[in-house]
Amino acid sequence: MPDGSGRSLYKSTFNTLAREESFRNPPKDGSTYNILNEFVAPHIESFNALFDDSGLPSGDGDGRGLLNLCLKDIGERVIFDGSGRADSENGTGGWGNRMRVWIEQVTVARPMVPDKDRTATERKVFPTEARERLTSYRGRMTIKICWTDTSGQQHDTMKDCGLVPIMVRSVRCNLRSMSSADLVKHHEEPEEFGGYFVINGNERLIRYLILPRRNHVISLLRPSFTNRGPSYTQYAVQIRCVRPDQTSVTNTLHYLQNGSAMLRFTWRKQEYVIPIMLVLKALVGASDKEIFEGVMMQDYENTFLSDRVELLLRSFKMFTMHTGDQCLEYLGDKFRVILGLPEDWSNAAQGAWLIKKMILVHVESPRDKFRMLLFMLRKLYSLVSGACCADNPDSPQHQEVLLPGSLYGMIIKERMEDILNNIKSNIMADVRNGLAVDFNDKRYFLKALSKVNCDIGSKLANFLATGNLISPTGLDLQQASGFTIIAEKLNWQRYISHFRCIHRGAFFAELKTTTVRKLLPEAWGFLCPVHTPDGSPCGLLNHLSRSCRIVTSPLAVAHIPALLAAHGMTQAFTPSIDGRKNLCVQLDGRVIGWARPSIAQQLATNLRIWKTEGKLDVPLDLEIGLVPESKGGQYPGLYLFSTRARMMRPVKYLANGRDDQVGPFEQVYMDIACTPEEIEPNVSTHVEHEATNFLSILANLTPFSDFNQACSPRNIYQCQMGKQTMGTPSTALQHRTDNKLYRLQTGQSPVVRPALHNTYAMDAFPNGTNAIVAVISYTGYDMEDAMILNKSGHERGFAYGTVYKSQIVDLKDMRGASKSTASPTLHFGLGNDIPLSGEKMHPCLDFLDYDGLPHIGARLVSGNYIAAYVDDTTGRTKFVKYKGDEIGYVDQVRLLGSDAGDSELQKIHITLRITRAPVIGDKFSSRHGQKGVCSQKWPAIDMPFSESGMQPDVIINPHAFPSRMTIGMLVESMAGKAGAMHGLAQDATPFKFSEEDTAINYFGEQLVAAGYNYYGNEPMYSGITGQEFAADIYIGVVYYQRLRHMVLDKFQVRTTGPVDPVTRQPVKGRKRAGGIRFGEMERDALIAHGTSFLLQDRLMNCSDYSTAWVCRTCGSLISLGYDDISLGEMVVGNSGSLKPTGPGGEYCRVCRAAAEELEERERQALASGQSLQPPQADLRVAISSQHVLNRVSSKGGDLDVVAVPYVFRYLCAELASMGIAVSLEVR
Amino acid sequence: MQSNEDLEPTVRIRELKKDRVNFVLGNVDLAFANSLRRVMMADIPTVAIDMVEIETNTTVLPDEFIAHRLGMIPLISTNCDEAMRYTRGIAKEHAKFSPCSAVSFEYDPYNKLRHTTYWYETDIKGEWPLSENAKEEEAPRDDEPFDFNAKPNKFYFEVETDGSLGPQEVVMKGLAELQTKLANLILGLKSGPEHDMVANDVTVNGHGPAIDNPWTGGATWTSPANTSATTGWGGSTSPSRGGGASSSWSSQPTPSGGGGGWGTGANAGWGSPERRSNGWNV
Repeated sequence: MPDGSGRSLYKSTFNTLAREESFRNPPKDGSTYNILNEFVAPHIESFNALFDDSGLPSGDGDGRGLLNLCLKDIGERVIFDGSGRADSENGTGGWGNRMRVWIEQVTVARPMVPDKDRTATERKVFPTEARERLTSYRGRMTIKICWTDTSGQQHDTMKDCGLVPIMVRSVRCNLRSMSSADLVKHHEEPEEFGGYFVINGNERLIRYLILPRRNHVISLLRPSFTNRGPSYTQYAVQIRCVRPDQTSVTNTLHYLQNGSAMLRFTWRKQEYVIPIMLVLKALVGASDKEIFEGVMMQDYENTFLSDRVELLLRSFKMFTMHTGDQCLEYLGDKFRVILGLPEDWSNAAQGAWLIKKMILVHVESPRDKFRMLLFMLRKLYSLVSGACCADNPDSPQHQEVLLPGSLYGMIIKERMEDILNNIKSNIMADVRNGLAVDFNDKRYFLKALSKVNCDIGSKLANFLATGNLISPTGLDLQQASGFTIIAEKLNWQRYISHFRCIHRGAFFAELKTTTVRKLLPEAWGFLCPVHTPDGSPCGLLNHLSRSCRIVTSPLAVAHIPALLAAHGMTQAFTPSIDGRKNLCVQLDGRVIGWARPSIAQQLATNLRIWKTEGKLDVPLDLEIGLVPESKGGQYPGLYLFSTRARMMRPVKYLANGRDDQVGPFEQVYMDIACTPEEIEPNVSTHVEHEATNFLSILANLTPFSDFNQACSPRNIYQCQMGKQTMGTPSTALQHRTDNKLYRLQTGQSPVVRPALHNTYAMDAFPNGTNAIVAVISYTGYDMEDAMILNKSGHERGFAYGTVYKSQIVDLKDMRGASKSTASPTLHFGLGNDIPLSGEKMHPCLDFLDYDGLPHIGARLVSGNYIAAYVDDTTGRTKFVKYKGDEIGYVDQVRLLGSDAGDSELQKIHITLRITRAPVIGDKFSSRHGQKGVCSQKWPAIDMPFSESGMQPDVIINPHAFPSRMTIGMLVESMAGKAGAMHGLAQDATPFKFSEEDTAINYFGEQLVAAGYNYYGNEPMYSGITGQEFAADIYIGVVYYQRLRHMVLDKFQVRTTGPVDPVTRQPVKGRKRAGGIRFGEMERDALIAHGTSFLLQDRLMNCSDYSTAWVCRTCGSLISLGYDDISLGEMVVGNSGSLKPTGPGGEYCRVCRAAAEELEERERQALASGQSLQPPQADLRVAISSQHVLNRVSSKGGDLDVVAVPYVFRYLCAELASMGIAVSLEVR
Repeated sequence: MQSNEDLEPTVRIRELKKDRVNFVLGNVDLAFANSLRRVMMADIPTVAIDMVEIETNTTVLPDEFIAHRLGMIPLISTNCDEAMRYTRGIAKEHAKFSPCSAVSFEYDPYNKLRHTTYWYETDIKGEWPLSENAKEEEAPRDDEPFDFNAKPNKFYFEVETDGSLGPQEVVMKGLAELQTKLANLILGLKSGPEHDMVANDVTVNGHGPAIDNPWTGGATWTSPANTSATTGWGGSTSPSRGGGASSSWSSQPTPSGGGGGWGTGANAGWGSPERRSNGWNV
């Protein structure tokens, strides 16, 4: 009998005591799990970059925060107090006095208590307050606006821009760099890592978004380009240029059929195209020869190229512009209208400004822009000639990440620009309207300023709350909504994966083609192949691999060009370089030189050695993308990248054994071995640190995921189900106000877990229970993925869960609330109309205290009182009731005050606790995508048992395995059993075993040592008869998750209930006690089975059964009329005969009218001698006699009562309104 | 196993500790042994906290969770069924009332009866370690013919309790409980006016004949209530109705007493080795 005799051989590996200790006494310096701070770093660092000093030498970044760079880029606005008419007496050109306005400085403060509050001793505001008070975590933003008066004298004023949401744990957050112990003191979890914003009590974050790689020219081949206009072709090259302040402009160079090229850019959501020659000339005033040589690069034999360059040059002749100034003049003239630049600027200045701001904005000097444009042209012609292929924009090689902080900064920049524009338009409107405008009067300016809405804070809060981007320029992004998501704290796995998820873009979600969703080999190590949802966002919503980083700071690379030149690179300014023999060397989209392929190769190798060894100040995060020469492959060159927002990941460089960081661009041309065993001499350049690094955090947490079928969706499913598990959402549950929280009360640490389980603090937030699982078909209740639970296990607390729900009572929203906040008319409490004691004691006192608030722990059923308030105007007490269907307990009551803490209590937040013990119909799953529904809770005595008396907690059916091939679950079962017997935390990291050293043998040995069968089988006995089963049973320990989909939230049942007023059919929706649609396919099934009674029952009797009168003569359903014959029949009309009616006085209005008309006509026909045709209905429906319920004697109104669906009557009425008569034939 | 038929049931205690007893139950049939197991697990009354009133709860744990955890605490429940009238329960109501933490149960460690098949990959001996109980039995010889008439009659029990009751008490109470249940059953069968009907049913179905039932010989119905049935009735129905009645039935006047014969193996009266021959096909 198994007795665990091998136990003494092993040492416990669960670290239970150490964890307990660190939970009781969180570290006072640093964090319990430091890696958590690392993995959200891109969020926080990118936010910090808005304010922070980068600490880099000049030339590498500006040394100031991005917001200051934004201010620099915004520049100034110029306002004139003249009308602009030259004939007026005001100054030069009639513009009058010149005033320059600009923003000098922007500051964002940490969240603080408003000055109005005089009582608070702690002036800082912490995120928990915002969370619990359902407000936002914000700090004050101020800008310094400067302007000049008529004499050029500078003035300034500070302007408040409202409260700006602050990212938690960023430099502007009061939790910045707090230790775990301090975090706990401030009501956070010890593992709190921030990276999100608190908006109205919700935690929201800006999701990573994939963007085209910045400052790199990609060639595109898109048939849709031909639709842009006549002579456009499918060929283009594109570059997304990013300014130092992280705003970007995309320039596209289109190839035209005539061999020339057009440059396209977007200005305020409007697209413009300019001939490339115009730009080339405008930039440096290049002569035709210079352009010819620059594109040809001595490749004179290449007639393809020379023909096109010739055409390019010739086609520009018709513009008759020869010098750069002429081109600038021309550009400025054409674009003057839209640019909104100072009116006194010359056309040339405006043209220069346009080129500076819109074309290749990542480089400053026109010469660099010129060189880059030539490069783009060469690449374009190369694409057209087929010398190089088109780049795949869906490949991570050509992608980078939109960082949350950068986007935030872009929005702030645009809002600041708006402020300046509004100031300008306000003053100009005053000038136009002839109001007194005095540039020397400070009061006038301040008055004009006060009319401008400067509330940037509320706009940012709105952006974060909705995810909608309201922008005049579109920020060079492809979408305008869906930027932010709620960081749901459903459980720890879901929570942390929010911070690692990366979206391809909302635009691609609507695309019919699925190529963007494809998993590309280039994504290896950067995007997890496993962790993506199935269904509509599949492949678009990805998660970063575990070791993937995002570079958030610019690197010091100013010295790199000189360094490369010293090692053999030809300088960029060198004239006459042979383009056939030289590769272009670029640094962040700037041509820094040329090199022969062998030298380029050498330079790349040198750089890699220098950067891995930290020599010559080459930064480690520099990406060295050497694209070698190939026939029809990617356009060759040596491309260096040092900017932010790139994905990078650590690998080991084999040449010197050092750590290297590689990016997706260079990785394509590398040979990275997955394991040290796979290194091929002279081929492999790198090796992975861990074989599992290509998986995301969640995918890494699936035990033995390598044993599950290679391309099976099971590991994908587990990544989804892990996120839907009822686990431990938070350890600071007392300070959470989430709408709904699921909590597993009896969570355990899994016996079988991958190494990363500890690394990512999974034990601090347990997600499931170690269950004894028998794989057996026992009673039939485990068919089709159902599972049987042990009732005794359930009674002892297996998978016992709780749901926490929030209810907010805000007296401001109640009826009778006064508008003013200063003196509310509603107050929490019990009024004098409530007897507090004695016989007539009010029943509300069972739940409420005298303050009108519920008792903690009060048990509530639907309709119980949850709060009481007194209305001053009526003096009566009103109640708020609990409206859930389930029994709830009051868990917490929060009194929510105002920001300054100076107003009366008007709002409370009640946390209700709803117990959810597992019931039949609840969903469970193992960690291998094996989900199932509890079908039965079987008493322990009836459960099968093993010789040692073990009874399974869970019985699952063997049929769950053959088709799904989740061998990982079988291995987990064995490993769990052995681990439980020996007290071992089993390492379930994938790729640890091999064909020679198999997992089965490893755990089999352990099992035998514990006295079990080698393969984990055990003879078992029927609990009912005691007889041994004919087969031995696979039984072991598997970690089971309880999923949040519970039958109590889903069951829907109805006998009778509300119906739709129009159709009289049952309404839909669980909430409204509606029915479940019996749809077309269901109908088809019944027809196919010939179950006509059922068919009628579903579609007629249980739906909109109705009876209706139908006229036998005309067949009309809708022509019923009644004569009141209760007092005897009446003789109407001059005919003097009795009108025929049914026994109830009913008659057909159509037929009676027709009869009367006929009578009339006959009378007339008789007079004139003509014959008549009776009118015929155009639609006829036959109704069989068995549906006729009430056959009335034919002599009366000739009406019958038939049973028809009510909608049919409705249809008849609607058709009648369109002039179509429906006629029923009653047989 | 014909030779065992007349043998009296035996109980041999191999180990008795504070919280567990290991014994071998012999000369009973499988159904009886399993009934004993089930009764020990689920039918023995114990005391547990059942209702908790919480004045204030300053912990982080919710009220109902604390109440549940309190309920799980094993309380010493010796003779609770006699000493307490209300606040006790059995594990059929809630698992917290079970005095047993596990009952291990085994028969036929060599699989001589071939009730099961041991699956193995390569080597059955290497992959299937023998249980400790195999020492109690003779290893089958390789050339031993399969006895298809053989029935299990030796059961290895280990009853481990959670401390609310001593292991000895659990087993004794279990036996007594089983006895009471059967007595009630018999009482119920005998007392109603529907005797004739039952008797008719039985005879019609052909289950009654006393001739082929070796057990009938020992069944003398001396219970005072048994006034009407002297022929055929008891002998024909009781084996098929759950067994367990025996000749010594009336010798134990207090079903809950348990008697002093524990562990000696001399506690006669538990003999229905062939009960299964009549089946359970009422």
